[in-house]
Amino acid sequence: MADCPLILSANFDKADSHTLAVYERDGGYSALRETLGKTTPEQLREEVKNSGLRGRGGAGFPAGVKWGFVPQDTGKKIYLLVNADESEPGTFKDRFILDYDPHLMIEGSILASYAINSGHCFIYIRGEYAWLVDRVQAAVDEAYAAGLLGRDILGSGYSLEMIVHRGAGAYICGEETGLINSLEGRKGQPRIKPPFPAVVGFLDCPTIVNNVETLAAVPWIVNNGAAAYTAIGTEKSPGTKLFSVSGPLKRPGVYEIPLGMPLRDLIFGEDYCQGMAPGVELKACIPGGSSVPILTAEETMSANCCYESLAEHGTMLGSGGAIVIGHETNMVELLKVLLQFYHHESCGQCTPCREGTGWLDMIVDRLLQGRGRPADLELLEHVCEGMIGNTICVLADAAVMPARSFIEKFKNEFEALLPEMEEPQDYVPTTSAAELPH
Amino acid sequence: MATITIDSVEHEFEAGMNLFEAIREANGEPLPHFCYHPGLSIAGVCRMCQVEIEGAPKLVVACNATVRDGMVVHTRSERVNRAVQSILNFHLLHHPVDCPVCDQAGECSLQDFYMEHGLYESEIDIEDKIAKGKVKPIGELVMLDAERCVLCARCTRFTSEVTKTHELGIFNRGNHAEIDVAPGMTLDNNYSLNTVDLCPVGALTSRDFRFQKRVWWLSENDSVCTGCATGCNMTVHHDADVAYRFKPRHNDAVNGYWMCDEGRLGYKQLNAESRLGQPLIDGSESSWEAAFEIIRQAVAGSQVAFVGSPHATLEELFALRRVAEAASADLLGYRLAGTERGEADDLLVSADRTPNATGAARLGLREFDADALASIAGKVVFVLQNDLAGLDEAAAVALKSASCVVLLATDANATASLAKVVLPIRNAAEKTGTLVNGQGRAQALNVALGAPEHSRDAIAVLRRIAQLLGHEFAWEDAQALCSELAGTVEGFAALSGGCGELGVNLDAGAPTTVGGEVQS
Repeated sequence: MADCPLILSANFDKADSHTLAVYERDGGYSALRETLGKTTPEQLREEVKNSGLRGRGGAGFPAGVKWGFVPQDTGKKIYLLVNADESEPGTFKDRFILDYDPHLMIEGSILASYAINSGHCFIYIRGEYAWLVDRVQAAVDEAYAAGLLGRDILGSGYSLEMIVHRGAGAYICGEETGLINSLEGRKGQPRIKPPFPAVVGFLDCPTIVNNVETLAAVPWIVNNGAAAYTAIGTEKSPGTKLFSVSGPLKRPGVYEIPLGMPLRDLIFGEDYCQGMAPGVELKACIPGGSSVPILTAEETMSANCCYESLAEHGTMLGSGGAIVIGHETNMVELLKVLLQFYHHESCGQCTPCREGTGWLDMIVDRLLQGRGRPADLELLEHVCEGMIGNTICVLADAAVMPARSFIEKFKNEFEALLPEMEEPQDYVPTTSAAELPH
Repeated sequence: MATITIDSVEHEFEAGMNLFEAIREANGEPLPHFCYHPGLSIAGVCRMCQVEIEGAPKLVVACNATVRDGMVVHTRSERVNRAVQSILNFHLLHHPVDCPVCDQAGECSLQDFYMEHGLYESEIDIEDKIAKGKVKPIGELVMLDAERCVLCARCTRFTSEVTKTHELGIFNRGNHAEIDVAPGMTLDNNYSLNTVDLCPVGALTSRDFRFQKRVWWLSENDSVCTGCATGCNMTVHHDADVAYRFKPRHNDAVNGYWMCDEGRLGYKQLNAESRLGQPLIDGSESSWEAAFEIIRQAVAGSQVAFVGSPHATLEELFALRRVAEAASADLLGYRLAGTERGEADDLLVSADRTPNATGAARLGLREFDADALASIAGKVVFVLQNDLAGLDEAAAVALKSASCVVLLATDANATASLAKVVLPIRNAAEKTGTLVNGQGRAQALNVALGAPEHSRDAIAVLRRIAQLLGHEFAWEDAQALCSELAGTVEGFAALSGGCGELGVNLDAGAPTTVGGEVQS
């Protein structure tokens, strides 16, 4: 895999990689120079669409297709919002781009803004990434000073204002409509859809929200062409992807890999994590950020890092935040950590999520406290069923997917915490009104 | 038009119509819901109105969907029932289930839907329930119990979208989220009690009404608010001839779904201590026959004059006009100029604080000033429901110059204490009649309360007064007068078919058909 080009991380190891000088020295902003005045927005949209680039924030929606949803005839302003609200547990790949190659994201954002005819771009950075706000702002200032942003960029007639905005630290503001509400100064909670942001978004104008990593891939696609991009990876998962790998590993970190590479190579490969830490055995892996279903060790060894293989294994590529779990970790305790997170981060507007995340947390907590009840596993499943798919955004689903898969695949660890009963009792979701005596 | 199938029955609706409303119309009852309200924006958060739409991968909240041609919708499928049941279960998880002491009991959506979809088993230990603020007065008229709240956000949307006063917000996240007033604010705008109507549960209750009456004892009658010239459509809630509250009644042509607090508290006047139950002669209770005898003697050989009122109904004023015309007597007008006016607001309150000034003016009655009252000196003056002395000191002086003042009134007031004879008539909740609001819309009053035993209908009293003046009229009641008015007086033809439930625009002619009971 070493012959795979580095599309996203080529500059990470260079000294002063975050500066305009270093970025331009190695060909930075050439894609922008080659595009403005030479390629129409339609042609650029088409090129990105042909590259098959999929959204890297977690949902994996084709970026070029999304750009095509923007109505161009409303007379309203069009906005590009860069989603740098990276907060999914286990996910820290956008941080590297923001920190080590902010100009790559900025160039990609200018290209994307041009493609959708937007004159206004906001970069929404997670509140906890405080130092990165300064880093990105400095890069934006450099770009303005160099005539790469602002009025009449590079004499092309195209103008773009770019504003760096710091969030206040809420996971849900990474959901695109939550982000829009937050950016408007409202409470950060998702909006009911339809309407979709591409039609009615920021300030009720057509809006595209793209992840940092998605945008960072655009300059390379422009420079090398869609065909070169689709030549990497698999048919359904073209290109490369950053994986942030955490856990008891010899060399955890952020790695760029061609999609389709075996997950075991990412964990055990010499160029990547180099295997488990001494004395630790692989027990499980959450491949795409804490919200996706977990894989057992066996499944981990057979899955590939691409949308389709992970789907075949019943999980998702998600954000590429791979959490590797060693044999000493208790899965109930780990689930409690995750559920506590979702309980804390639920915005609270939709009832199933507001009540369900707290309820799941409460049940797992009592199991760990030795106060479990015989039917608690069935109750957990019952709560999960009521939550999944029943809310405005997918935060409820994000809590349910780990909960369900942890219990399914590591049931013995949960059962070990159940109280012993003389006779097993099933959880029965009791009678309905019609069956009650009147 | 679009053809859509709802629960195996085909219906025709406008394409693009709100699916929740289409289902309400098709099935004759609404889907279970807390957050949806036709007068507010779509929140889509309670998740109770989910339906199955064939071809859609997930259940869809009907409140945020629109009718499309060929749509096939299931509202009672197994999948929908399961989802609604578990969502209701979530709503009840931390709810205190204190129905026996909750004033909302009997008109609570949570109770109603629980009867239909509840799981009937407590899912959580009482010590695990999240405790929130209870019995918190958040305004002069509204009490908050945050534990009962289902966070439907109707009240917060009302204060941000309708009154735009922004007193209420949802604070904190997840299952610690709760409704409260913003720091340093109280919910004291003149529309605060609408939040109580909107609240589908017992989280917001009226500090005025709570614990006064269990709602299942109340009867309701349609009526119109008499607090100002807007004429908000409302219902009178009453039991045993005592009024307990007014609630707004939906009428898009007048008040939408809302009503101001001031008008809403107008029910208190119906139960007031000042209510007259017997004719008064020189301030002492007497009989109708004695009172009429005094009047008979007074009018013999004397000139008479009449004064109307913007509080009287169209029919009463028409009768007054007919009597004055027959007696060739002076009818001074309907209102002391410049009185009974206040500030209008941006929502519903009109500057004119009387319910029928427009109707009186359309009947040809005028405003008059206190100087005009000089003409009543030495005359017998009949005053219909107008507290002249209470409104203007000069008027009080002028009244004293009359040889005899006869007042037809519902309540004791300053004018009553000057009058030789006071005749108790029925108030707005005890009679039928028509009021014309500031927009020229005729709207009906209906009988909600039984009148005091010895009070009489003003129309019958006026007919008797006419008799004493030597003129016979055949009117039986307000309806007969209304028909006569519609048939004989220009500008009232639209009344020929009555006002209907939602009133009729005297200039346009056709009764309005949009509206009905307030949706909850």
